[in-house]
Amino acid sequence: MIRLALAAALLAAPAAAQDFSAMSEAKTWNLYAEVPARFTARVADPVCELTGQCAADCGTGQRQVVLIRDADDAMVFPLKNSQAAFTGAAVELAPFCGQTVEVDGLLIDDPDIGATNVYLVQRIRPEGGAWLRANQWTKDWAARNPDATGKGPWFRRDPRIISEIEAEGYLGLGEEADAAFIADWF
Amino acid sequence: MRPLPLVLTALLMAPPAFAASGERIQITGEVIDTWCYFSGVMGPTDAVVGSAHHTCALWCSAGGIPVGLLAPDGTVYMVLKMEGDADNAGGDTNLHIASHTIEADGLHYTRDGLNYLIVETITADLDIINQTHDDFGVIPGFAIPEEAAQ
Repeated sequence: MIRLALAAALLAAPAAAQDFSAMSEAKTWNLYAEVPARFTARVADPVCELTGQCAADCGTGQRQVVLIRDADDAMVFPLKNSQAAFTGAAVELAPFCGQTVEVDGLLIDDPDIGATNVYLVQRIRPEGGAWLRANQWTKDWAARNPDATGKGPWFRRDPRIISEIEAEGYLGLGEEADAAFIADWF
Repeated sequence: MRPLPLVLTALLMAPPAFAASGERIQITGEVIDTWCYFSGVMGPTDAVVGSAHHTCALWCSAGGIPVGLLAPDGTVYMVLKMEGDADNAGGDTNLHIASHTIEADGLHYTRDGLNYLIVETITADLDIINQTHDDFGVIPGFAIPEEAAQ
């Protein structure tokens, strides 16, 4: 039994030790546990992968999407696109649902807090295509919110966020808590 | 080219190798912004939860960053559905409960080091109970614009 377990561990070792940083041109975000990572993967719907309940086109950006890495079949969860604007990656990757793409970005590996196989995608290259920057999110938002004009970044102008803050305050604890905090903070 | 054996053909055409079934669990946890929590981009994990990080959690949830459920033991469950709302990349359900502590009934899956949760029912919404602004102010510091003070 021990020999079998040892053999299984040895067989699994090459994939676990694989270095995906070779050839990566990912830009650092100076995060504590970031590692540059460029790899090929299939773009997939995680609900479909885990349960078999699949959405057409991976949910067209409304559902989260994952990357099933070719090298080791690991399910990598892209949490972030390349924009420093509080924006995710589903919109960037969903157009490639079911396709194999090459991605470049930053893997976060901090098992002490549960972060394993989570990813920031900076560029995407479809098979036979050119590299695309994963920075579509704010453009899509602007197209969906033509009336949210004015100064400042999208998150200051987003009608849903404004509505939540009007209802619950910046701390989420109501107007009274906000007033006391703001008087002290500024 | 020789035809593939029948069994091999069937294997190649099979749906994704998904788990046979999730484990049903009942869990209490805070709905968190997983990017700020996992990346450390704005500081330690205890600073990017609760009221201190509420406005940023709204931004990230609306921006389509995955939400997680942070259990009292520190386990983070990546939420793939929140009570029937499959629209979990920027959808309304996650936005309304950003930073709230909820009690949930759902299905738990694990794969490649991450925990995944499909919340079938939010059995209780306890609102924001983690009042971290007392210790951390607001994270990031620009979460409240100066105009709000006038």
